Amino acid sequence: MSFEEIPHTADVKIHASAPTLEALFSETFNALMQVMYGTERGDGTIRKIRIESTDNESLLADFLSEALFLSEVEGLVFSDARIRINGYCLIAELRGESFDPARHSGGSEVKGISYSGLEILHDANGYMLDIIFDV
Amino acid sequence: MLEGLNRVGIYEWEVPVGYVPGMRVAGRFFLSESLAKTLEPGAVQQLANVATLPGILKNSLAMPDIHWGYGFPIGGVAAFSVDEGIISPGGVGFDINCGVRLLSTPLLHKDVSGRRDLIDELFRTVPTGVGAKSCLKVSSQSLDGMMVKGARWAVSAGYGVERDLMRCEEGGFMNAADTRFISAKAKQRGIPQGGTLGSGNHFLEIQVVREIFDPDAAKAFGLTLGQVCCMIHCGSRGLGHQVCTDHLKILESATKKYHITIPDRQLACAPITSPEGRAYFGAMAASANYAWANRQMITHTTRQVLSKMFRVEYEEMPLIYDVAHNVAKIEEHILDGKSRKVCVHRKGATRAFGPGSRDLPPDLTSIGQPVIIPGSMGTSSYVLRGTQLAMDRTFGSTCHGAGRIMSRTQAKKTLNGREITANLLKEGIIVRAHSENAIADEAPGVYKPSDEVVNVVHEVGISRLVARLSPLGVIKG
Repeated sequence: MSFEEIPHTADVKIHASAPTLEALFSETFNALMQVMYGTERGDGTIRKIRIESTDNESLLADFLSEALFLSEVEGLVFSDARIRINGYCLIAELRGESFDPARHSGGSEVKGISYSGLEILHDANGYMLDIIFDV
Repeated sequence: MLEGLNRVGIYEWEVPVGYVPGMRVAGRFFLSESLAKTLEPGAVQQLANVATLPGILKNSLAMPDIHWGYGFPIGGVAAFSVDEGIISPGGVGFDINCGVRLLSTPLLHKDVSGRRDLIDELFRTVPTGVGAKSCLKVSSQSLDGMMVKGARWAVSAGYGVERDLMRCEEGGFMNAADTRFISAKAKQRGIPQGGTLGSGNHFLEIQVVREIFDPDAAKAFGLTLGQVCCMIHCGSRGLGHQVCTDHLKILESATKKYHITIPDRQLACAPITSPEGRAYFGAMAASANYAWANRQMITHTTRQVLSKMFRVEYEEMPLIYDVAHNVAKIEEHILDGKSRKVCVHRKGATRAFGPGSRDLPPDLTSIGQPVIIPGSMGTSSYVLRGTQLAMDRTFGSTCHGAGRIMSRTQAKKTLNGREITANLLKEGIIVRAHSENAIADEAPGVYKPSDEVVNVVHEVGISRLVARLSPLGVIKG
């Protein structure tokens, strides 16, 4: 289970892989938060969200877009997401803390989650994807 | 150059129909021999993908700052028939009406040279970076004003003077704004961010006019050699990002509903005349207006700082011009000798209307529209003017900036923010940012040289050089 940033000229491109779909979503979520706020992210605050969508890719994009929204309007920096997926319905418990300029200013603001080239692949080893964040 | 492309001019290449399946028209882009080395196959593919969209007119176009984006390439321009064509958020981007404006001052280079206190004060008063919130308290009523009347609202609220509006593309607001299609979430994001710069490539820069290429145009625009100016580059912040996110979802269903085949999900679209297409256009226009109001509010803060520190009158700092470089507009263009209404998408491209255009302020009608091209941190920015050739060839469009050539990952690995800051300081450029990463991310070396990019549009003739400005101080997110 891991994610890595792969070179992309304009934006941030992430490659993630994980044994389960839930873990893949969680990894991609961690990548998003790391791009925005760096690695020093604590917890203490919990937010729960529920997303319904039409396919796995949209479910992921909608989930990450909702996380971006919550993070921005509530000034929260998340460190972890516990996710359950049933069909194209997702329930997530997000753990995080309040934005602290001293520790969380090192990242890049993500403007949106792109659908360009987004495809969740599944084989015997698990799930993987490439995703572009517009920064 | 990549295989399968045809060179059709010294600076012009064609992407023939058939380069990707389903192309309705050919693609065309402008590039010099040396810039061609940095061209990515992904960007050409995206240019070709745009050519598959229904109702596209003439060509799918890209300017010399072409690079790999999502949906459209960055630097992409495409016009669609308003009757049979589509509108797509993939041709505008998440940062609706990301744009740039240039403010003049009566100050000279010697007045501001080495004045770290000026850059510090701007960094303190103009909110920048991730998580930045505005100090200009925006009420929900003011938010409506920003979305409906854009810079005009800002001026009536005291953040500027009437003349500023004459110097904004569209007079600082699009009439088509329809706030019914702005979600509660988008509004919630918009309220605390009115008057904030944001992060990434957005900046506020104190510059000096170093070179004048076209004295008549420079005079008409209000630029003189050695004059200090201020450039502001930012967009519609979280409100615009949310509008794009919300409408992408709606338009994805619409793409299926109207049986449109698209090669990339980020090109989700709907007929311009459909309810979904109209809703996106209304919401996009409202976001564009928010961005114009935002740049106007930052202008106000900047003028206040300069007034206080240099005893300059507010009126002595007129706006040169304000352009949008991520937007879709309904415009009239001549096609096959007839004037037609078309929907022009500019994704990382700037409007560059030529002399005689009705959209220009009366005193600039004979000159052409001012075009503002920001450089990357530490490099020159340019002012150009729009031309008739742009009207004939590119739906009145030109480049928007330097265009990235190095990824952020590579920039962070190979460049050091502290060293870059020190090197820029040696050249007399003061940089303030929230993090070293932000500086490495946007360092001069990660972009195509801006002078090469503007040289191509100048040589091709889709805009002409007027002046070059170089930075003295910059604040970044």
